[in-house]
Amino acid sequence: MSLQSVSPHALCSFSFLSSCSPQTVPFRGSHWQTSLLAFRASLPVRAQPKKKKKVDVKREQAQKDRMKKKIKKLEKAAPEMIPIEDFVTPLKYSDSNRVRSLPPLSYEETERRVLLMKKWCLFKQKQDKAEKQAIRSLLEAQQEALKELRLESEELYQAAIRRDEGLFPFERDGPNYTPPLPGYDPPEGKCVDITKVYTQ
Amino acid sequence: TAVAPRSWRLFGAMCLLRLPRVTQPLEKEEEEMAALMGQIELEKSHYSDYEIRKLGEEELLRKRKESMYDDDEAPGKTVIMAQDLEEKWEQKFLQFEAAPRITDADKNNNRTSLNRKLDSNLMLLVKQKIGNQEQWLLPQVEWQPGETLRSTAERAMATFLGDHIQAKILGNAPYGIYKYKFPRAIRTEDNVGAKVFFFKAFLQSSDLSQTELKEDYLWVTKDELGDYLKSEYLKKVNRFLLD
Repeated sequence: MSLQSVSPHALCSFSFLSSCSPQTVPFRGSHWQTSLLAFRASLPVRAQPKKKKKVDVKREQAQKDRMKKKIKKLEKAAPEMIPIEDFVTPLKYSDSNRVRSLPPLSYEETERRVLLMKKWCLFKQKQDKAEKQAIRSLLEAQQEALKELRLESEELYQAAIRRDEGLFPFERDGPNYTPPLPGYDPPEGKCVDITKVYTQ
Repeated sequence: TAVAPRSWRLFGAMCLLRLPRVTQPLEKEEEEMAALMGQIELEKSHYSDYEIRKLGEEELLRKRKESMYDDDEAPGKTVIMAQDLEEKWEQKFLQFEAAPRITDADKNNNRTSLNRKLDSNLMLLVKQKIGNQEQWLLPQVEWQPGETLRSTAERAMATFLGDHIQAKILGNAPYGIYKYKFPRAIRTEDNVGAKVFFFKAFLQSSDLSQTELKEDYLWVTKDELGDYLKSEYLKKVNRFLLD
């Protein structure tokens, strides 16, 4: 209340100059109005007031629906296939200057190759047979052992044919060409992985 | 429930294998085939970036030789040629010395060492007293009631190599069996003979310096087994050993 009593005097002259009709004399609309500026509850503003609330709500809802439709459309589209990089030859390798120029194979060379292939075929067949025979004899020996065990005692047999959970997954580093060098200090380096990762 | 007295004594034996550390040498056919495959691959291939660079540089060198007095931009400009790189790599490779595939133990034929015959499987043989004879056998121990045969085999391994041995036993089932009857002198109604069940395991730890082997032991390959084992025993053991 105290503010109201101070301000009208200072702003009275303003309202005189800025109001649309300077001729009108400011008067109180009724005896309940204590000051001139009580008519306007807020400070004087120039811009237009906002539109009513209903239109805003409708407009916002319409916008939301449009967005949802767009999202649905995108989701319905089939996921993009991830290209297999091994099957795609980069274009720079199909240049003609890349083709190797070698002399054509002689007759002896082709003959030698064919004979070598035949020898290899035989070699591999023998190797395969030997492997299969070894596996067969392994199985036979195991079956015999289990049979004998069964004759001995049933509970030991049951314990033997139980699955060994700790056996798989079985991991082992394969043999290399040379044994590990004791006291070898490998050179330091950083490995940066540049494989392309695709997301659907 | 009364348990019928067993007429056969049960033993659990462990065949401990040290897997090969080095690849086996290729056979003659395999080497020829590998060479042929390499040739075919070369014929079917295109030039790589490195080869194109090399060819380009060779062209440049040829051109420079032909037109000797044609000074290119800056003769002081040092361009690293592919040839130089190759020579550098070659030098570096010659400086490196790999560990030998045939070790000292091979040359001395020291059969107690694990560093022998790095390209084949080695198995453990121990000298044990059976009856009143000392024989070379796969480590075996008599079965005690209340344990499975696999644990018998583990116990056999532990008695000869200590508790800190790391071995992966391949499954609960035995791999082979050797049955023999005792000589008539000690054969009784409920002591006819013995059945030895073999189990297989892969040795995981590479050094056995902590273990103290009390009796004589040997690490032998499959071919050398014949030097130590008796013929019947050997036949049964060979059946479950893949070379």
